[in-house]
Amino acid sequence: MIFRPFKSEWIKLRRRRLWYGSYGAIAGVVVMTTVVRIAGATHRVGSSGNLTLTQLARAGGLAQGVTGSTILLGAVSLSIAAAQFGGEFAHGTLRNLLVREPRRARLIVGNGLAILSFIVGAVAAATVVDIGAAFVMAHARGVTTAAWTSGTGMGDLGIAVGDMAIAVCGFAIVGMILGILLKSSVIAIATGLAVLLPVETIFTDAVPETARWLPGHLLEAVAQGGTSVAGFAAALVTVSAYLAGAVAVTLLVFARRDVTS
Amino acid sequence: MPLLAHASCGPRMPESCAVVTTGLTKRFGHRVAVDSLDLAIPEGSISGFVGPNGAGKTTTIRMLLGLMRPTAGSGTVLGYPLSQYKSYLAKVGALIEGPTFHPALSGWDNLAVLARLGGIASARIAEVLDRVGLGDRGHDPTRTYSLGMRQRLGIAAAMLPDPALLVLDEPTNGLDPHGIAEIRAMLRSFADEGRTVFVSSHLLTEIQQVCEHLVVIEGGHLVFQGSVAQLLASRAPELAVRTESPDDVDRLVALVRRHGHAATVSGRGAEATVTVSASCGWAGELNRLAMAEGMTLVHIAERHSTLEEAFFEITGSCTEESRERRTQAVHTETSDPPKVEEHTR
Ligand SMILES: Nc1ncnc2c1ncn2[C@@H]1O[C@H](COP(=O)(O)OP(=O)(O)OP(=O)(O)O)[C@@H](O)[C@H]1O
Ligand SMILES: [Mg+2]
Repeated sequence: MIFRPFKSEWIKLRRRRLWYGSYGAIAGVVVMTTVVRIAGATHRVGSSGNLTLTQLARAGGLAQGVTGSTILLGAVSLSIAAAQFGGEFAHGTLRNLLVREPRRARLIVGNGLAILSFIVGAVAAATVVDIGAAFVMAHARGVTTAAWTSGTGMGDLGIAVGDMAIAVCGFAIVGMILGILLKSSVIAIATGLAVLLPVETIFTDAVPETARWLPGHLLEAVAQGGTSVAGFAAALVTVSAYLAGAVAVTLLVFARRDVTS
Repeated sequence: MPLLAHASCGPRMPESCAVVTTGLTKRFGHRVAVDSLDLAIPEGSISGFVGPNGAGKTTTIRMLLGLMRPTAGSGTVLGYPLSQYKSYLAKVGALIEGPTFHPALSGWDNLAVLARLGGIASARIAEVLDRVGLGDRGHDPTRTYSLGMRQRLGIAAAMLPDPALLVLDEPTNGLDPHGIAEIRAMLRSFADEGRTVFVSSHLLTEIQQVCEHLVVIEGGHLVFQGSVAQLLASRAPELAVRTESPDDVDRLVALVRRHGHAATVSGRGAEATVTVSASCGWAGELNRLAMAEGMTLVHIAERHSTLEEAFFEITGSCTEESRERRTQAVHTETSDPPKVEEHTR
């Protein structure tokens, strides 16, 4: 009956402010990336590393707003997920939930799936808004969009959004794990963001090869459909193994721990 | 030595108990929060669970609800062993350590979160909201609720599964006398429907009127278990005595003590009262003895112990000073006895 905790969590996710806040934040991040990238596109290949208008006009051009906002989307989803679970401890409502559903693993998995569906929904909604913004910007910069609407263009977008959804779920799972283990939204979000961003970067700055083994970088590689350091399949397999292990440990710890909040 | 007076719930009739525990113990590191607790909560009645702050009430309740693992001991709830809490919790409603909600969600939504989780029909939400008198405020965010409303919403949440056993941890905490009376009436109506109500409080007076059965704990130990009448009867009788001349007080105390009874003085001067540990059967003898020594007694009365005093006696939380204050309270006929916190060590 994984469905009961799933439906129960959705009542909390329906909160209007959470809805506007997170759907707005995710759509905002994606649209902002698209706008900045198309606005900053150059006529010729330059030293800035910006895309050129010719590159933009290719089939993959429509997807780059989504692909380009991995870190920000990851940070937002990690925070939302950590806050949902951390909040149960902070409000002292977890004990009420556990009286109605004492099967703790079932509760966590059902609630977690609801949070993932919420975040995937946010990515999908952001994509729709982003497509609109991309066409408007393309029109403004005189980029031809024929390739975007081709079969290849739509396919590329689908793959980009799918990869991003997988990566974002990974970040959200990290957030949930930290929320449960650290029993606090704020501490979980701070820890998660610190480890995934600056701490990992310290390692990759010293030895770039470590990106192949660090979860944040692996999730980023998944979102981009693979990078030069970590291929898509390898990144997906490695990070899935990490997350599966971490989820198993979390469920075990949570099932045995005294509930004191 | 705990005063164990099993009510309808003796070892011979375990089937009539909603909750039974044997040697239930919880340790946090070196601190023993609950120490070998033997509970026997009769089915279908209101049982009070009383003890000062930190006595171990919430810890006991958490163990009964599968939230904390007992360090030692065993027990049954609704006939199932404690370890099978997943089987019995569907028939248990609980309010643990005060009401807690998602502040941004309405009362209705907070209940809906729990109803969905427990597979309870949505129609039940309106029923329990009406039952606790929150029908008209159900759609306001709980952060706008007063403490009394939050307590009532907590009780509504506990009533959601139509429970056979209702465990309420301090539902009267922080309420005014009117609010407390309302909660008591609610508890009464729940018990009248055949539910077992197990209600904790650190103030005995808040729940004594509705409790058929009482469990008193202190420092994790069981101090008393039985009916309210048994609690009163378990207390040693006392005589309140006044002498005509205040100068005789010390002599009277010495006289009483010579005859093997304890005596304490409260009040000063003309107000001085000697409290003698003896039943009223000894009053005549005391009067004769005093007269023989040339003292005139102007007042001898058996003191009717309030439940609160019986509670102090049992928990041993009574200091000389607090006894004096209590005696004054009795004399001025204050209906509101002093609070437990003032007397705990
Ligand atoms: N999670 C915990 N870790 C360590 N000690 C704890 C924990 N929970 C409770 N205790 C200790 O156990 C003892 C009993 O606490 P408990 O909360 O059960 O008391 P209580 O009777 O409910 O008190 P109150 O009337 O204040 O609610 C206290 O000494 C408390 O400090
Ligand atoms: Mg308590």
